[in-house]
Amino acid sequence: MESILTSGLEQGLLYCFMVLGVFITFRVLDFPDLTVDGSLPLGAAVTAALVANGQSPLTATLAGVGAGLCAGVVTGLLHIVLKSGESDATNYGPKLLAGILTMTALYTVNLRVMGRSNTPLLNVETLFDKLAAFLSVSMTNWQTIAALAVLAVLVKYVLDWFLHTEFGLCLQATGDNEQMIRALGTNTDFTRVIGLSLANGLVALSGSLVAQQQGFADVGMGIGTIVAGLAGVIMGEVLFGMRSISWVLFSVVGGSIVYRLLIAVSLRLGIAPTDLKLLTAALVVIALAVPTVRRKVVRA
Amino acid sequence: MSAAALEIKGLRKVFFPGTANQVVALEQIDLAVPQAQFVSIIGSNGSGKSTLLNATAGTFPLTAGSIELDGRDVSKLAEHVRSRFVGRVFQDPRAGTAPSMTIEENLAIALMRCKRSGLRRGVTKQRRALMREQLGPLGMGLEERLGAEVNKLSGGQRQALSLVMSTIAEPRLLLLDEHTAALDPKVAATIMELTGAIVAEKRLTTLMVTHNMELALRWGDRLIMMHGGRIVLDLDAEQKKRLGVSDLIAKFHEVAGEAFAVDRLLLD
Repeated sequence: MESILTSGLEQGLLYCFMVLGVFITFRVLDFPDLTVDGSLPLGAAVTAALVANGQSPLTATLAGVGAGLCAGVVTGLLHIVLKSGESDATNYGPKLLAGILTMTALYTVNLRVMGRSNTPLLNVETLFDKLAAFLSVSMTNWQTIAALAVLAVLVKYVLDWFLHTEFGLCLQATGDNEQMIRALGTNTDFTRVIGLSLANGLVALSGSLVAQQQGFADVGMGIGTIVAGLAGVIMGEVLFGMRSISWVLFSVVGGSIVYRLLIAVSLRLGIAPTDLKLLTAALVVIALAVPTVRRKVVRA
Repeated sequence: MSAAALEIKGLRKVFFPGTANQVVALEQIDLAVPQAQFVSIIGSNGSGKSTLLNATAGTFPLTAGSIELDGRDVSKLAEHVRSRFVGRVFQDPRAGTAPSMTIEENLAIALMRCKRSGLRRGVTKQRRALMREQLGPLGMGLEERLGAEVNKLSGGQRQALSLVMSTIAEPRLLLLDEHTAALDPKVAATIMELTGAIVAEKRLTTLMVTHNMELALRWGDRLIMMHGGRIVLDLDAEQKKRLGVSDLIAKFHEVAGEAFAVDRLLLD
């Protein structure tokens, strides 16, 4: 029982940065960004390659995040080219295509970065080992969870601060009413590029941490990231509410944890790991249907 | 020598040039608007009045001609650059505000118009005080609800907020695109009163497009009538004062010289 709880919490916190990234693209920017399927393994691959080559895990993690930031910029620039001057915010075609192109290109990049499809990190020092040495404790599951929780809270507050700066407000408005914010003198192409970059940096951070925690980076580890991220976002919003941006950032972290707990329970119940993607997709459909059904029930 | 705040010279706009859908939307528009003048622009559908406003705002590149603001040629400037000097209110009350953001966040964005947005806090104490000061005269109690999301407001309240947002940073030019047309008559009258008060108080150079002849006659110190992409009538405050709606329709008949039962329906 405890192992379900710890593994759910640990996975939920490892992936919560990715879920925050998906929240920024999907909800704040209104940009369904598929880059994340590539930027998660990108963060993992860059970190793994550097750590395996003897770099400090901290440098390697930051490099992984940096790679994610760049991936987001590429998607943003592709989107500018693909929409070709047209500023119809409801046209999702160029947004989807920009993400798909970057994601596909990143598959090759990730293989090239690692030089193979899987890089083990067994006898090298990871960020978690480093932290354990620094605090001179042995990292049990609970210690790892505590460390990740501290990082999650920190990232949450930095994001919250950023979204309420002048630039952050313009970024929010870019997703909320692009015509208006353009009429108020903001270059929405620029705010979008920065938003996408930030989001994919967060996704890559999750990738980097996951690789170091599980002891390997794999080129296939990003498949379904977007759906898992959406599952976290939607479950967080439905379960914990969305009364303000500050609040919903917490909700989304909570959603990430609940989602991973559900996965841990499903695995314990004997569901094959290969069936999880289908299960996740079904979860997203159910979570999406809840508000509609609730409305129908209330009306009836 | 020219004291014009806005000067449009030889403006021409052709949509879809060289195709079967080619439309000449604006033809040889020359217009000089002095500082602090309030111009009403009327015309039927397709007369080019909204296109003129969009051309001034920089929504699309011009086919020919130039637009100067305070003597500076802005015709090559991108829309978001130009909009640092140009405030706009659209017909749709939803167009001018960000719905899921709060009133104070919307206003903070409007206040940042002239400046590059940085990493300072968007909503500050100082800005809040300024916001209350600007919202108070609306008489809608919005100054007490700064933290409320805009999608909780009525259409009239949203349009009043749009109006404050577009004028709070004192733009060089205010463009009103049928900004009361989507509101019910009572609310529309309130918004128009507020518009008149704000424009007069801040001495804003203003172009207001409208379908409504009565509105055009009552407000503004100059009236321009457009037809077929051209300015067909240009009346100053004195001439305007002597005119009634029926005179205006007669004038329209005269200059347009076409049967226009449809237009008449719209204009009444």
